[in-house]
Amino acid sequence: MLAPAAADAQTLSVRGFGEGEVFWFPQEVPADPTRLIGHFLGRGEVFYKPAPVIQFAGGLDLRANSHDQVEAGWRLDYGDRGAERPRLSVRRLSATYTKSRLTVDGGKQFIRWGKTDIVTPTDRFAPRDFLNVINGEFLAVTAVRAVIQLRDDAFDGVWAPRFTPSRTPLLDQRWSGIPPNAVQVPVDGGATMPTGSQFGIRWSHLGAAAEYSLSYFDGFNHLPLIRSSVDIEAPAVVVTRLYPAIRTYGGDLAAPTPWFTIKGEAAFFESSSNDVPPDERSDDYVLFVAQLERQSGEWTFVGGYAGEIVVRSRSSLPFAPDRGLSHAFLGRAAYTLDPNRSVALEGAVRENGRGVYTRGEYSQAHGQHWRTTVAAAVIGGETDDFLGQYRRNSYMSATLRYSY
Amino acid sequence: MSKRRRLSAAAFLWLPVGVVVSSHVAGGVTAQAADDARTIVEEAQRRTDAKSQRYEGLLQVFDARGRISDKRWTFERLGSHGQSRAVLRFVAPPEVKGVALLVVNHPDRASDQWMWTPAIERDRRIALQDRSTRFFGTDFSFEDLEERDVNQFDYVLAGEEPIDGFVCWKIQSTPRRTKSSQYTRSIVWIRKDTYALARIENYQKDKLVRRLDYSDIQNVQGIWTARRMEMADLTRGSRTRLTLDRLQYNLPLKEEDFTLQAIRRQ
Repeated sequence: MLAPAAADAQTLSVRGFGEGEVFWFPQEVPADPTRLIGHFLGRGEVFYKPAPVIQFAGGLDLRANSHDQVEAGWRLDYGDRGAERPRLSVRRLSATYTKSRLTVDGGKQFIRWGKTDIVTPTDRFAPRDFLNVINGEFLAVTAVRAVIQLRDDAFDGVWAPRFTPSRTPLLDQRWSGIPPNAVQVPVDGGATMPTGSQFGIRWSHLGAAAEYSLSYFDGFNHLPLIRSSVDIEAPAVVVTRLYPAIRTYGGDLAAPTPWFTIKGEAAFFESSSNDVPPDERSDDYVLFVAQLERQSGEWTFVGGYAGEIVVRSRSSLPFAPDRGLSHAFLGRAAYTLDPNRSVALEGAVRENGRGVYTRGEYSQAHGQHWRTTVAAAVIGGETDDFLGQYRRNSYMSATLRYSY
Repeated sequence: MSKRRRLSAAAFLWLPVGVVVSSHVAGGVTAQAADDARTIVEEAQRRTDAKSQRYEGLLQVFDARGRISDKRWTFERLGSHGQSRAVLRFVAPPEVKGVALLVVNHPDRASDQWMWTPAIERDRRIALQDRSTRFFGTDFSFEDLEERDVNQFDYVLAGEEPIDGFVCWKIQSTPRRTKSSQYTRSIVWIRKDTYALARIENYQKDKLVRRLDYSDIQNVQGIWTARRMEMADLTRGSRTRLTLDRLQYNLPLKEEDFTLQAIRRQ
């Protein structure tokens, strides 16, 4: 329990949950006939503030899975670099120093930039776990972050000495998107991790009429390029992941109006590695999002459009859910039935109609600790569309969570 | 301080929202009555002036069918009367633990509000049109959480009435054109013996939509403070009771603990 009034100086807060989740997929996928998957996640986080200027945060995750999405061995993982989810991992481990208008965070932490919700082009220090592509959880990064708050302006600097990638779908499972007519499931050849550091700076301004930010990032895309080769001896197609060096120049805006909150976010992605083959360089492109948000009574509405302008195309093959959701209309509506129950519906439709995704959810709390959630997602489209390739992955899920 | 023409419920989170009357009602009221009303409101504000405030709150939401859900939060405020900053942070139930709201009040316009949601590690600005929505399933709206500036409302003394056996001034208020509010008008009861708030009724057009009752009024560090407040949503038939524990005034709080950076700290 948080104990803020306890002598003012020291506070200790503990929170976490245990969660069991079951997914049922009505359709089989040639590479993955499993249709029922169970998952468990136990999470514990501790926040300790021994003095007004310093705070420590730590968190552990414990996972189990019925479909080999979790590593078999027991080890304490820190880097989040494995193809599978670690069984036991450090979710966060950081120290925060605050003095006057300066805040410095060091360690494994969550850093979120940007203002839009479904696609966030400027959110460059926020890798995600995409074992389930449409339900990706954010991963923490190892970094030092300093923020100076000067009245309505904030200057944010991040230096990440160690790269954390997004986790991509397992090749022998349904979210890999391997076409049904594929002769053979490729073999995972691992990943080539960048060794350099990354940094980014961001200026934010809070105005009476709007708040906005400009940001610059120089590092690596946490979403990989896919490179395939043929192992003649095996024989097999071997797929490897590499993470291209990029720079991004971005901005975001949120402007409340009497009718809607207008949010926009855009970033120019530029390959910054000139000494590698074109298939190891990312495209140069602009990713942008414009969305409207409104809350009315018990309703919350968010709707918008995500777009992409490719400035220079290269021969690389990216795994890019953010670009995959571009040229699409996105939306979410939620309704609070009462303090304990809510329903939500979200969806995305590609503007050419070749891919569609929609998901409905009902959630109910039971007392102070328990919550159940049932959901159903429908995915459709053509095989050559980012969303459409998962058209056999429509599912129903049920989740039971105990929070403490 | 008495010269400052701002209104706040300083001792409480919910300001004696707009006090006044719609223009057609106010039309028949004398200027003397309006001046008296403003003077009373200003005196009520003066008596609740404090450099800072902290309490632990227990929120109990009773829905129309009598079911109860509990929430607990901590509240800290620095400054008062329209130039304050406040941070409200949930500590229970477990699934909302760490959710925080930063409220930056302004003397001349609506407050700015941001909500921090630890589950997604992001803050979100609460837009003006969102202020009429319920705050986290309670019967308080986001607008009910902000302080009000006395100059954003017109006041009219509408008489005297007893509340819980105490004689109160009954004051009506309406927001001025520059003030964005979900409420068309409000009626505020202020106790004559202590200048403490006793009740607020909020109207949308001519319909009474929310009623806030103050009770268990105690003198805390020289400030008459209601230790219990109950907001009734008369449209839904639900109500939320807030009980204040460990209430303190004039603590040495720091300005840097009332920023967006600060609410991100868990």
